[in-house]
Amino acid sequence: MAMDPTDPAAATGRPTLPRSGGPGGWRIAALRLLLLAALLLAWQVASWNMPAFVLPGPLRVWEAWSNLVASPGFWKDLGVTFERVVIGFLLAAVVGVVLGLALGASETLGAMFEPVLTVINTVSSTIWAIFALIWFGLSNWTTIFVVFMTAMPLILTTVWQGTKTVNADYVELARTFRMPRRQVLLKIYLPTILPPFFSSARLAFGFGARVSLVAETLGASSGVGYRLRQAADLVQTDQVFAWTLTLVTLMLALEALILKPLENRLFRWRRRAGES
Amino acid sequence: MGSVQLRGVSKWFPRREGEPLHVLQNVDLDAPERSIVAIVGASGSGKSTILNIVAGLVRPDAGEVYLNGVPAEAFKDWRSMTYMFQDDRLLPWRTAAQNVSFGLEAGGVGRAERRERVAETLELVGLTGFADAYPHELSGGMRSRVALARSLVTRPSILLMDEPFSKLDPSIRAQMHEEVLRIKELMGMTLLFVTHDVEEAVVLAHKVVVLNPRPGRVRETRTIDLPYPRDPLSPEVAEQARLLRGSL
Repeated sequence: MAMDPTDPAAATGRPTLPRSGGPGGWRIAALRLLLLAALLLAWQVASWNMPAFVLPGPLRVWEAWSNLVASPGFWKDLGVTFERVVIGFLLAAVVGVVLGLALGASETLGAMFEPVLTVINTVSSTIWAIFALIWFGLSNWTTIFVVFMTAMPLILTTVWQGTKTVNADYVELARTFRMPRRQVLLKIYLPTILPPFFSSARLAFGFGARVSLVAETLGASSGVGYRLRQAADLVQTDQVFAWTLTLVTLMLALEALILKPLENRLFRWRRRAGES
Repeated sequence: MGSVQLRGVSKWFPRREGEPLHVLQNVDLDAPERSIVAIVGASGSGKSTILNIVAGLVRPDAGEVYLNGVPAEAFKDWRSMTYMFQDDRLLPWRTAAQNVSFGLEAGGVGRAERRERVAETLELVGLTGFADAYPHELSGGMRSRVALARSLVTRPSILLMDEPFSKLDPSIRAQMHEEVLRIKELMGMTLLFVTHDVEEAVVLAHKVVVLNPRPGRVRETRTIDLPYPRDPLSPEVAEQARLLRGSL
């Protein structure tokens, strides 16, 4: 899983990126496999000398994970967390894009709100979690709020900066066709902002997913974060490992199966670096 | 349909320091229906400003502009005029066909008709088969053809061009000249273009307006009375170009 068998360079041996490509593609793949094996071995050896509640061995974690996935509450907890992250993220995306466009459209507004953004960015997600707990108690909104406060400023900033990169020549072109302002926003501004928006949204979703766990350990009675804390309280270290494994797998799957293909489709028009 | 007249047009550009810059002084210009008129002049003679004024992008400080005989302030049919820039200004996220379509989208033309007219116009400029190519996949000459198609797809009665082929190789530029003349014959629009290349002006235009710089003012209006097609290497063209160069 740390390996990527779908790596195009590894699969075809075609030179693409120096990182994983070139004629050494297969060699890199083999080396990575070796690294994975070495890590597993080191883990195994280390676990022999430690009690299972400190460091459970790989087999024990595998077993715990199998049991966890089979347990009836697993999908429910996963679903609850996912739902909170998605709601928080979607709210952040909508508010971030609208405010980002508004701040980009008006210089006065932009200058006025710049310090507010700085302040929001300096507040730690944990502090938002504590405030959320005070304001919303043990409810879905605690986690949603924390995800929102983490993701929104990131998206807002990117969209705002993106509006400044809009090519004035394209806007002039639209003017010669007497294109209405609404259409200019849709056909010139939006496509310009889309690539940076997409990468920031990806980042924001990742941040949101991570801080959601913090929020859930503090202020929820369900969800992955809550289960993690529960496992820690009961010293079920293998459970903590199993949940961690689950989350890593999910994030990787999301990246490889949804985000990457979507990005490739959306930004087909871009010339890839190295292509002439 | 498709005439442009300027009467006594003057323009100053405000400057951060000092007096406003006098860009155009009392410019008169006539581009009758279906004519091809070139504006030549050294840099600083306000050539592009004239086009921007005609296009309604810049307001003159004095004088009058008439489009199809109507004063510009009362002119309604702005979409019957298109503007081709010095750079092709293709939107990189759109295919060739989608870039051409851009010209129609502002005018509220329906999807089916848009598709039909885009295909028709791509064929007109010889780009059938490249409809789905992105700009970065096209050569400079082909990009220029896409930009031309975008300016033609609305079937304009006035086409303004600001040194549209100056960045192309000479042989491709000559090809584009032939294309423009052929299409102009076919569609019958009025062509008003700016160039610093006197040969280009002589090969294309019925009439050449020579501007003097700082402030830009009309020095001479010369009629080029040569039959089309004009061979850029012929002695007649060379002679006209020499005369024009002399008055620059």
